[in-house]
Amino acid sequence: MRLIKTLRLASRDYAHEWQMSGCFVLALAAVLGPMLVLFGLKFGIVGGMVEQLVEDPENREVRPVSSGRFDLDWFGNMARHPDVAFVVPRTRSIAATAELSSARSSRIVRSELIPSGPGEPLLPADAALPDGLNSVVLSPSAAEKLDAAPGDTISASVTRRFAGSKQRVHVELSVAGIAPVAAFARDGAFADVRLVEAFEEYRDGRAVPELGWRGDPPAAQRSYPGFRLYATSIYDVEGLRNALTEQGIEVRTKAADIELVMRMDRNLSAIYWSIAVIGLIGFSLSLGASLWANVDRKRKELSVLRLVGFRTGDIVWFPVTQAFYTGLFGWLLAVGIYVAAAYAINTMLADQLANGQQVCVLLPEHYALALAVTLGAAVLAAALAGFRSARIEPSDGLREI
Amino acid sequence: MAQNVFQSRNKAKPIVYHLRDVIRDRASEGVTFRLRVPSLQITQGEKIALIGESGCGKSTLLDMLAFISQPTDLAAYRFRPDIDIDAIDVARMWKKRQMNRLGDLRKRHIGYVMQTGGLLPYLTVRDNMLLSRSVLGLGDDGTVDSLARELGIARHLDKRPDTLSVGERQRVAIGRALAHEPSIVIADEPTASVDPFAAEKIMSLFIELAEHRNITVVVASHAWRHIKRLGLRRLAHHTQRSKDGRTTETVVNG
Repeated sequence: MRLIKTLRLASRDYAHEWQMSGCFVLALAAVLGPMLVLFGLKFGIVGGMVEQLVEDPENREVRPVSSGRFDLDWFGNMARHPDVAFVVPRTRSIAATAELSSARSSRIVRSELIPSGPGEPLLPADAALPDGLNSVVLSPSAAEKLDAAPGDTISASVTRRFAGSKQRVHVELSVAGIAPVAAFARDGAFADVRLVEAFEEYRDGRAVPELGWRGDPPAAQRSYPGFRLYATSIYDVEGLRNALTEQGIEVRTKAADIELVMRMDRNLSAIYWSIAVIGLIGFSLSLGASLWANVDRKRKELSVLRLVGFRTGDIVWFPVTQAFYTGLFGWLLAVGIYVAAAYAINTMLADQLANGQQVCVLLPEHYALALAVTLGAAVLAAALAGFRSARIEPSDGLREI
Repeated sequence: MAQNVFQSRNKAKPIVYHLRDVIRDRASEGVTFRLRVPSLQITQGEKIALIGESGCGKSTLLDMLAFISQPTDLAAYRFRPDIDIDAIDVARMWKKRQMNRLGDLRKRHIGYVMQTGGLLPYLTVRDNMLLSRSVLGLGDDGTVDSLARELGIARHLDKRPDTLSVGERQRVAIGRALAHEPSIVIADEPTASVDPFAAEKIMSLFIELAEHRNITVVVASHAWRHIKRLGLRRLAHHTQRSKDGRTTETVVNG
């Protein structure tokens, strides 16, 4: 009851002194707003950049230096390895080409076939993937030469010399999608591993019953000369390399690039955290100082309340309530400032960014954290100042004018 | 003890304040100001005036009587605001630093009029006057309205203090000090900031209201001539400065 009375008095005082209260709110927002923008930029630019570098599949690739013999058991084991995001067998590179043609274009495009499958790291996560023996994802240059669009049907052919004569087979493929430029710059097609394998079998003179191609019976034990392997993140590349080296497989990685990215990530994080910590300390101090000064200013009024019979404990709630208002309204205004600034920045740079990418971003938890820190610092400063003024003799406070 | 209580209950007018050897020191710029009260007794319904130049320690004594300033040293301090209760040993509460209990005593039994109003700027006149009632959990039962009529500020009840003249503000302050029906009202130069003509009117009104309610009054002032006509008892005090000029002592007896 007494508490409610104190809260109501504090609220009325806060509203009555709206100009002064407004100044405190403005002062708080003037510090917190730019800090939110700064943090939003750090989170958006550096976070996005580092994420891009960290996630760039090229940096996560582990390539075998020379060809070896890898059987399906080996691929099974690697696929289960926690550091491996994607692994598929690779056929001999000479065999992994096909001549593509389409009805709309007169050109015949000799394309590399990239064995692919679910989780293909070079294609966007939501892109269509080649599935089965009758679909491919074309690289942009191949698609352009073939004048092919997703949903079109194209034809692939391979030749072989078998039983003393030159033979050729055709297979109809539907275009499941077009890969982004970054994925593959040359003429190429992402194809299901089984299709690439089928072409190699055919070239080697063996039969492919699924496609009706005749030849020698398939080998009992299939093995592959190479693999396409991508680590889960750049941080796992080093471990994978060591594991493969132990198996006697020499591999090539982008270890130097990765080291650079990782060092940049660490350094930028350190810089931003030190800015954030310094900013936070400065912010807390400025907020605390202004609230402390405000309690000093109100010492006489607080003394009047004590004279009328409010207890020490009730008095402390008075500045705490007002600090809470200042913290809350200041935070709201700062969020407003941030939202406007972020909108302006993101709109201004929209043309230079990939779709959906933003320069200035904050997550809901960042807003919550800012609110918690603001209210924490405000209430703490006001409570300390309140205790101080509650401890002086009421008569001292009353005589000050 | 039991006999003592019995005796004082039979007396028509109990002693509200009983102070013996109460000392309060205050240091400022190398000079020590000392207020010494060898003996002071104030009976219920008495109207006491403390007359003297500012700085002689009047306010210090009033603050000690209102429990908002703690004596530096004291032999005895008993407070008996009501004839139906035993005398309260205020000296012991002070030694134990029971500030909240002293605050409770103040809010229940004492009204205090400050020299400069001490009104809260964010409350209306009515709410300022109700403040002393609301901390006691007393509602608005018409007391404030009738007090406001008697004080001549009824038309200002819903205004804020900053729209009133200084004299009107002091009337509100007197109203606040009386609104919770205290048995004692302490007033520290309540009319010092008002012109002499208004001051006399306000002071007369104040004493009249207190007289009506049989309230014990302790008022500090430097205008004895008017106060004397209102029939207040003047507290004797004299101030002396030590030879080296480093201590100033005021002794109050009565």
